[in-house]
Amino acid sequence: MKISESGLIGQSVARTDIIDKVTGCAVFVDDIQFGPNLLHSRLVRSPHPHALIKKIDTSKALALDGVRAVVTGQELSARMGLYLIDRPIFAADRVRYYGEPVAGVVATTEEIAVQAARLVEIEYQPLPAIYDPVEAVQPEAPLLHPDLGEYSVANFIFPEPGTNISEHFKIRKGDIESAWEQCAVVAEDRFRLPSIEHVPLETHTSIALSETNGEVTLWASSQSPFAMRDMIAQGLGIPHNKLRVIAPMVGGGFGGKAGVTMEACAVVMAQAVPGHPVKLRLTREEEFVGTSVRQSLVSDIKVGCDKDGNLLAMELTYYFGGGAYNDYGVNIARAAGYSCTGPYDVPNVKADSLCVYTNYPVGSAMRGFGMPEIHWGLEQIMDQLAEKVDLDPAEFRRLNCVRTDDEIVSGMKMTPINLEACIDKVTEAIDWGKEEKPTAPNKKRGKGIAIMWKAPAMPPNPGSAAVVRFNEDATVNVEIGGQELGQGSFTVAAQIAADVLGVPYRKVTVSSPIDTKYSPYEWQTVASRLTWSMGNAVKAAAEDARKQILETVADHWDEDVDDLTIKDGLVISFKSEREQPLDKMVIYGLPNEDFEGWKGGPVVGRGHFMPTYVTNLDPETGQGTRAVVHYTVGAQAVDLEVDLDTGQIDVLKIASVYDVGRAINPDLIMTQIEGGAVHGMSSAYESLKFNENGEPINPSFVDYRIATIADIPGKIIGDFVETPIEDGPWGARGVGEHVMVQTAPAIANALYNAVGIRFSDLPLSADKIYLALDEKLAQER
Amino acid sequence: MLARPGLPEFEYIRAGSSQDVFDLLKEKGADLKLMLGGTDLFVQMRDRAQGPGILLDVKGLPGMQEIDYRQRSGLTIGAAVTLNQLSTDLDLKEKYPVLCQAADTVGNYQLRNRATLGGNICNASPSADMAPAALVYEGEAVLESPRGERSLALEQFWLGPGSTALEGDEYLKAIHFPPPPPGARGSYLKLGRSRMGDLAIVGVAVLGYPDKSVPAGLRFRIGLNSTAPTPYRIPAVEEFLTREPLTEDLISLAGEMAMEISSPIEDVRATELYQKKMVRNLTVKVLKETWESLR
Repeated sequence: MKISESGLIGQSVARTDIIDKVTGCAVFVDDIQFGPNLLHSRLVRSPHPHALIKKIDTSKALALDGVRAVVTGQELSARMGLYLIDRPIFAADRVRYYGEPVAGVVATTEEIAVQAARLVEIEYQPLPAIYDPVEAVQPEAPLLHPDLGEYSVANFIFPEPGTNISEHFKIRKGDIESAWEQCAVVAEDRFRLPSIEHVPLETHTSIALSETNGEVTLWASSQSPFAMRDMIAQGLGIPHNKLRVIAPMVGGGFGGKAGVTMEACAVVMAQAVPGHPVKLRLTREEEFVGTSVRQSLVSDIKVGCDKDGNLLAMELTYYFGGGAYNDYGVNIARAAGYSCTGPYDVPNVKADSLCVYTNYPVGSAMRGFGMPEIHWGLEQIMDQLAEKVDLDPAEFRRLNCVRTDDEIVSGMKMTPINLEACIDKVTEAIDWGKEEKPTAPNKKRGKGIAIMWKAPAMPPNPGSAAVVRFNEDATVNVEIGGQELGQGSFTVAAQIAADVLGVPYRKVTVSSPIDTKYSPYEWQTVASRLTWSMGNAVKAAAEDARKQILETVADHWDEDVDDLTIKDGLVISFKSEREQPLDKMVIYGLPNEDFEGWKGGPVVGRGHFMPTYVTNLDPETGQGTRAVVHYTVGAQAVDLEVDLDTGQIDVLKIASVYDVGRAINPDLIMTQIEGGAVHGMSSAYESLKFNENGEPINPSFVDYRIATIADIPGKIIGDFVETPIEDGPWGARGVGEHVMVQTAPAIANALYNAVGIRFSDLPLSADKIYLALDEKLAQER
Repeated sequence: MLARPGLPEFEYIRAGSSQDVFDLLKEKGADLKLMLGGTDLFVQMRDRAQGPGILLDVKGLPGMQEIDYRQRSGLTIGAAVTLNQLSTDLDLKEKYPVLCQAADTVGNYQLRNRATLGGNICNASPSADMAPAALVYEGEAVLESPRGERSLALEQFWLGPGSTALEGDEYLKAIHFPPPPPGARGSYLKLGRSRMGDLAIVGVAVLGYPDKSVPAGLRFRIGLNSTAPTPYRIPAVEEFLTREPLTEDLISLAGEMAMEISSPIEDVRATELYQKKMVRNLTVKVLKETWESLR
């Protein structure tokens, strides 16, 4: 692990995008102007959760003045998907959730498109719908995808045709049957976690333009411009070089703008009106219904330990409610499968992680990607077991938590981490073990702890590429395909490039917007993988550029490259103490003596990174040499009180500590920790609610309450531990998602500590808490 | 089905005089909606397929944006007075503090720059935040029509969710409040799912004041919202509290009575049982606080 050249690594430099965002200069998709040629569109969505489409009549809609085109799935049989190609762009013969796009209307104004959408006549034959993933795996359940066996699928995903199971991941490790016999104490429970929405402030917006020559440009609010291009290009048969995705600033993603949601609809509509850009802009209500949601989960967990508290056995079944299409979601069940134990050392494990089709909105990526879902149950059952074996919950975790080089549940050797240090820091921060008085007589106070792990969940070999390009004045453009979602990826890219190149940070600009026509490849901005993977690529590109510069100067001075370095934009020689400013020479090179020819030329560095060491897992046992690239771990501790008159929770303090490998920019980690704590709270208190027709009944900010500035914890204490990994830039790994993974169970554990009631189902509404308290009091009387 | 991206088309007319209003109501009444701040109206129009063809903005009528306080006759608040205007008025803060307190719980600051007291009253939402406070100050709706002016106690003005006693030829001109009883103290307590900007699951306003004519030596007015088809007072509980000198036990009993009287229905915000229990707990809490402040 080479140390930082300029000391920039580890410094909290200001974000590259701060001025643009504060002054309103930042450009989002909806800000881009297209002039009078622009057409508007609306989607016609299914009013049924499950039905066959018998007939679509678009004639009345087409007859309306101002309508330019109406498209339906009947003319288009294309399906799309990231891991499992199961999703039509517009439903063709069957709808599988309330709100599924069935047709698209293009018109001269949005208002005409709204009117025309109402004139599209669709005849449905309703089918029985199924919502609960446990019921959906039963043999008598209505089948959502009778053609599941014919869909293309990645070689590490295992659907079960003839059922609603789109992925079945298995772990068979050790000898579970005999292990139970050795257990002194066993805890067993079922936990339920409903779907939640990402609620980005910027709703999904796309503008698509299909030229008369067939080339397509798509402006989209996207975390994954390259994956989006790949999926749409494959789905619609457009060559990749004829489909251009431009992704400006993203107003909040959280996983909801990963992959493709509604963007393909915009492209198909644009192809119907060549030469005209077509805008598709979702309303807030559509954002809840028609993009993607976090999958629901029912987890059955049984866990046992010996009389000293050492974990011996675990049996798990995860039923992920994947919604109507699981093209992305299958990999959530897989990730949950190979990380099924949570950050614990358990020698004997039997686990089945299922992704199950249901007639709810599409379940897909959300911050944490399966980990908040499984930790909700895991981190509570561990407290239940600790109580049974009479150990303090923090002590129990110190005893059993995973350590560097342990053989973990997938058979892989644990990458370097220090989870105990995280536990120590959070317990210290909230005075763990010290009983504190509530702030009022009608309140009860409690403390809780939860730990977590998460690996980047991705295909084995997702790549990153970067280009570092010098300008005449020795300023630098860093070109990447990774996206800035507010997490600070551009800042980190600039910091890494400046450090390696020896130029001041303020002289580095990250080229944006991301444009698949010009930007180098990036798989997706997901999985908390950019600082690590993109960071490696930027570092490699900067090192390449640096090498070019040093070789030119060394040649010019007739010195050895190893005697030279670059500092503050000057090449200096340790040996001769000569200096050469970078400006001009990085483009024009250096003249030979008496101008007898020149050396060098425009400096452009290129770099890439792709993990090459991830191996496949045995489909029957889930065992393999290396399931994932690495894990990030962390701990959270919560000090809260409950109002006994209302059931409302007040988080007084939350401490979050994560092992980040190496902190490239500590302030950006702190902003993640703060945002994660608040996001985690929202995920504990709120969920999507549906009526019996599969229709969301709270798809708005009125009735879907996310935490606001007034609701944030009294105190958020953040810190990190640095145990470097081998394959990250300066040892760094991601932390963007991890910070909210175990917040809900930490709150639930503190709640149990406060009032002695275990809540196994989310959300933790004041209503539910109060009524449970009331019932407990009545029983005690 | 899902809301549209924008508002349906409508004609906007700003009335300059009450005669304009009367004429238009007579001519286009069925297709016309009176508008003040519009903060509820626009959302309703966006949510529904059909909206009114005409929005008649009555904010500009004489006196509509004025707050008039007189020691003898009391307070008259023009229907178009905004909630921010109301919550920062010094006379109100001193004489009718529960109104100011309630105004501050509505939505957020930006919304309160547009939202009006008259709109909150005319929208006739069971959860109207201004309603419990307006009830305990015994507010009256001042209605204007070609037939002249009439006043109607708010309890008679609200008929059901979204429904009022406003006649087809009338508009709400102001809300009038008599002078509060000497020595009055009170407050509004609202329970939402989050701390800012939520609709009330339950809201309770209490106004207490000394009254030597009753055994308790005190009288309380109690106004509630969100737990019946309209905002309401609970006279039976108010009367119960006058019968003997106040104790904590009596307040608890009053809470139980309030719970019995309330008739909430389960919705996306809360279960019926929780709402009932919260009527009890919040009523007890505000009564105790008010009692404290009177001692």
